[in-house]
Amino acid sequence: MRTATIVLVAYVLCVFVAAAWRLVAFGPIYDAVPDLGALTAAYLGLTARRGVASAVGGSVLLGYFIDLISGAPPGLCALVLGLACLVARGVQQRIYVRGTAMTMAFSAFVALVAAIVALAIRALYHVPRASWSIELRHAALVTIATAVIGPLVWRVFKRIDAAYARTHRERDAALEGLAP
Amino acid sequence: MAMTLQRRLVDWSLVGLLIVMPALVLRASLSRGEPSGMDRALLRITAPLEAGVTWVVGGLGGIWSRYVALVDVEGENRELRAENDELRKQLATMSRRAFDATALEDLAVVKRQTPADTVGARVIGAPLSPQFRVLRIRIDRGDKDVAPGMPVIVGTGPVGRIDKVYSDYADVTLISDPASSIEVVVPRTGGRGMLTGLGRPDSYACAIEWLERQAKPEDRIKVGDEVVTSGLGASFPPGLVVGKVSKVARDDGMFQQVEVEPAVDVSRVRTALVLLAPLPPVDPDAKTKKRSEPAFGGRAL
Repeated sequence: MRTATIVLVAYVLCVFVAAAWRLVAFGPIYDAVPDLGALTAAYLGLTARRGVASAVGGSVLLGYFIDLISGAPPGLCALVLGLACLVARGVQQRIYVRGTAMTMAFSAFVALVAAIVALAIRALYHVPRASWSIELRHAALVTIATAVIGPLVWRVFKRIDAAYARTHRERDAALEGLAP
Repeated sequence: MAMTLQRRLVDWSLVGLLIVMPALVLRASLSRGEPSGMDRALLRITAPLEAGVTWVVGGLGGIWSRYVALVDVEGENRELRAENDELRKQLATMSRRAFDATALEDLAVVKRQTPADTVGARVIGAPLSPQFRVLRIRIDRGDKDVAPGMPVIVGTGPVGRIDKVYSDYADVTLISDPASSIEVVVPRTGGRGMLTGLGRPDSYACAIEWLERQAKPEDRIKVGDEVVTSGLGASFPPGLVVGKVSKVARDDGMFQQVEVEPAVDVSRVRTALVLLAPLPPVDPDAKTKKRSEPAFGGRAL
């Protein structure tokens, strides 16, 4: 239920940010919409304690929705977010995301990983792409935009986790960013 | 422990399945090239949400761009207003200068045509009646340059005579003043008379009294006849257009009485010529006598 709620909220956020980003963004990140899908997948992977399948499933489902609204080939974002979730799961025991700076850094890392994975998959599947310079520049800008917006999204997800906590201890742990 | 291991196996199997699924979907979608039935169904379900969010965000963006972002427009508007005011001032200055230049050109022509010594003057004041009629004008020539009684003219005709002279300026009584009198003639009929001001509060009308009434009806004064200075009285040069007959007030007996609308709009006079001396008499030695004697008191040349 918690995963479903996060996925649903993330999907609404994706739709909202996609529509509103051009109103608030300026400069070079005007065209670089933050990768909320990668942020969500990373959060799900990072906070998955026992079952990874639900986190990966939620990420894949969210990726599929993003594919549909973004016009990407169905399955592309789903695969990328599934893998991003696994990467976050892999670093779960080695990294502790706490504080704004750390959250921004981790958000940037996740966005970069997602961008690289997406490029690799597109190359593997021969999905048409722009020149490498444009793709890399866009990936860098998306990384920056994701890092900027990361702490806010992270806070929303922590609130959701806290709402699903069964005890005060779980609630405090969720707000601290620890795995529920 | 075995359960845990089994659960892990199931979990990771599911993970593998979940990773393989989108890969297969991606391959299928790339080979198919168009959305599947499930894609279309999901799009149909999610479309209202997207449309709603887009509508709300678009509305907020419209409010932002139409109202909040108008702060810059307000500043720009203020700058443009200031610039507009400045340009209007410049335009008014230029118009005034152009008007002055035209008046000075007219004066130069009159000065060349007038065979008497003259001095140019600027109008520096004009007291108004309650009906905004100019009662008299004040020029920037004082007692060193001009004297009472000297005629004042512009390119279009006579303005009046100098009444009082001060150190730096002088007051001019207009031809529309009741105290003013000028010898005039109607060229069409040859009738002569004395033009005096009527002193009306709302117009500059003058009157010619005791105008000789001709015997033939066609030689009598009619409305529209031109009135010019006669040159008699040794003041105004002859032939200056004073105005036109606007009304024949009395037309019986030996004389006619008519009203004249002056040719000069004294409310717009900004520069004028002051005649310093009366017109020189016809003199066979005129070629050797270049300057006439002062007739209205002494003056510094």
